[in-house]
Amino acid sequence: MGTISMGILAILIWVKDKTKKVTYLRLFIQIVSVPLIFLGLIIGPFGLPQFPSVGNAPRDVVIGTDIFGRPFPDGLSVPILACWYPSGRTVTCPVWQMQAYIYPFWDSGPGFGWGVIYTTSGLERLAIVFGLVIIMAIILGRAFCGWICPFGLYMDLLSYFRKALRKPHFKLSDKVNVGLRQLRYVIIAIFMVLSVILGSQAIFGAQLVSGTQRGEYLYSYLSAPYCQICPMRPICVLAEVGLGAMNSTFVFSHTTGILYEAGYYITSINMAILIFVTVGAIAFRRFWCRVCPVGALTGVFSRFAPFKWVSVVRLNKDKEKCTKCGICKRVCPPQITEVYEKNGGDVTTSACILCLRCVEMCPYEDCLKVNMAGKTIFKSRNWLNSK
Amino acid sequence: MTVKTESEKKYIPEISQKEIEELKNSIQATSTKVIAEYIERMKRGWPNRPEAMQYFDEIANFFGTRGKEICEAKEEGRKVIGYTCMFAPIELILAADAIPLRVSSGWYDPAKLGNRVVPVEICPVIRSTIGVKIIGLSPYLELSDAVITTLTCDGMTKLSEILGDYKPVWTICPPRIKDSEQSMAFWREELKTVKEKIEKLTGTKITSKKLRSAIELMHKAAKAFRKLQDVRKGHPVIMGRDAMLVNQASMWDDIERWTRKTEELCAELEKRAKEKVWACPPDTPRVMITGTPIIWPDNWKLPNLIEEANPQGVIVADELCSGDRFLYDPVGVDEWTMDDMFNAVAERYLLPSTCPCFTSEDGNEDRVNWLITKVKERRVDGVIYYVVRGCMLYAMEYMRIKKVLDKLNVPVYYLDTDYTREDTGQIKTRVEAFLEMLKSRVEI
Repeated sequence: MGTISMGILAILIWVKDKTKKVTYLRLFIQIVSVPLIFLGLIIGPFGLPQFPSVGNAPRDVVIGTDIFGRPFPDGLSVPILACWYPSGRTVTCPVWQMQAYIYPFWDSGPGFGWGVIYTTSGLERLAIVFGLVIIMAIILGRAFCGWICPFGLYMDLLSYFRKALRKPHFKLSDKVNVGLRQLRYVIIAIFMVLSVILGSQAIFGAQLVSGTQRGEYLYSYLSAPYCQICPMRPICVLAEVGLGAMNSTFVFSHTTGILYEAGYYITSINMAILIFVTVGAIAFRRFWCRVCPVGALTGVFSRFAPFKWVSVVRLNKDKEKCTKCGICKRVCPPQITEVYEKNGGDVTTSACILCLRCVEMCPYEDCLKVNMAGKTIFKSRNWLNSK
Repeated sequence: MTVKTESEKKYIPEISQKEIEELKNSIQATSTKVIAEYIERMKRGWPNRPEAMQYFDEIANFFGTRGKEICEAKEEGRKVIGYTCMFAPIELILAADAIPLRVSSGWYDPAKLGNRVVPVEICPVIRSTIGVKIIGLSPYLELSDAVITTLTCDGMTKLSEILGDYKPVWTICPPRIKDSEQSMAFWREELKTVKEKIEKLTGTKITSKKLRSAIELMHKAAKAFRKLQDVRKGHPVIMGRDAMLVNQASMWDDIERWTRKTEELCAELEKRAKEKVWACPPDTPRVMITGTPIIWPDNWKLPNLIEEANPQGVIVADELCSGDRFLYDPVGVDEWTMDDMFNAVAERYLLPSTCPCFTSEDGNEDRVNWLITKVKERRVDGVIYYVVRGCMLYAMEYMRIKKVLDKLNVPVYYLDTDYTREDTGQIKTRVEAFLEMLKSRVEI
């Protein structure tokens, strides 16, 4: 903690250029978040194969129970793409948890991996996940995406790589971008419905798809349907295999069918999407964020009534101070146009990852403001003074 | 491009060389006198005028050292590119190692000469620029290897054709609606063409390194420019017309030196603000000018009248493309790639512009917002809406601005005039009546 605050302080003091301060601060926080997210991996017994017989996961030392004192074996659910599959899951993706608690962990009892015993029912656990996500989304909104998400960091690093090559970035047309924004909700809805269909045996007591019962073929393969396409899973798993924290033979030996060519943990779709997103993130900034279902989950709270009325972090624009110079629109990584287009007032949108690049780059004093619970925590400055 | 012969000229009527010589001599004599007189009046109007202002007085003399300096630079092979509107991308000109100079004219006498080419109803900025070109009065326009004109208003559009009789003219056409994808795409193409033309003329390729240093140079200039505007927020430490002169000097001066000198001036002014040495009594009515560009020297009529009137007023802000707007907006570069830098430059010149040639669903909302911000920020007591005869776009926007300012309870006065010196007495009465009213409001 001391080192982190020292680092933040150092950036605040040493980075004189006001157009870079927040960018560097954000990069620093993104980087220090990575070990914190996978803290269990660092402090726990290192190099374990992931087998059910191992017992308590290292993360249990850190976050063993939820606020009600019940075991909370899957890690704290934070609205970022922090994969559940690697062993060091101090923090987990809420989308995995939602799917898994609908199916296959609807009932209490043993789950798979780490030999976890769930003492609470799926419904209770879903309530906890939703509760945590809602609280976090209300307090920080999609700042999680911009400041903490490790996949966001991955894409940002790819952008830095592109910048180092002095290549320009591409832009999606506004129409496509807005279309993708709607698609996020469709994606998340599809996978939730899929989870319910697959988990029908546990929920309704009738099997809608054969082979999905506990112990049957599809049960363990389709435990979380979205995770089979998520680009984050291969990164996490491969990184962990590389670090030696996950047994490579275990990961790569389960090859069944064309879908699971690379093993049980990395589907071919996973890999294909990861490669696609990697290439995309070099060409476009924050490529995945535009369709990310986790972002959609959090974004709901910054955009739609009545959720947005309780949301704490808001981006505000002073209509009169704005000269419509277009800088905010051009610098925005997910290409949001609302900050530029809207006639002042609250300009937060569901696609905004609160990276604050627009506020930082706005050259007009007090024009853009970030309000937290009504109090301004950061606002645009005449950054020419720091040049 | 070779000089066109008389018969090749499309617009300019035949005028004998002798007459041109005579006109030039007499007008130059008057102009020199007027410049000297106006500077003298500015000195008188501000008894403790800082030393640093001296430099800008020199730059303000069109027939002084700056012209010689440019001549020398030209001999060394540097090119000079003139421009009429503030849409010309100065960063691109600087990046090609050329000298940017604003050449729209503020001289009264040549405007009469311009009447021979265009009707008297046309705005005097256009007529005067034509007149200046006919007799070759402005050294800056004469030294320009090419002129960038912007098709903003009707006058400017035809001015580019008329100037084409003498010089290579590069026109850039701003889209009338700013904030749409297609407008921006079009504008980018326009600037790309200009960029290529600049590169061709100067023989210098605009590399990303050069463009970056040009942008950074202009950032420094904008910083000094903004600093000067900021010191005008409090009680008056600088007379308005002096500040306006400093603003205008940036159009002709070497931008690096101008930045340094302006910083020096600002340091002095900030010191004065701390010591509470005011340029005029703090309860002087604070006036803002908006409307047609006011261009040194003859066009200085109105600032002179306001600040020499009885009761006196002080200009604390203006919304003129030759004034507070000129360098106010910086180029905001996100990534220092050629592509982004170029886009940033293109956007900077189009999007924040409050020129009345633009419209949108909300009308020229940007101008309204600029005015509201400045009125609040500078605690403006009254606004003078300055329109020269023939300036249709500014004249037509008056009602919109008036209604907005009425809501803020800030009086607006519509002042229509010309470059002419003959109506000074009449304008003086009108300005003084307005200031009288402001004064009584301030006292209450």
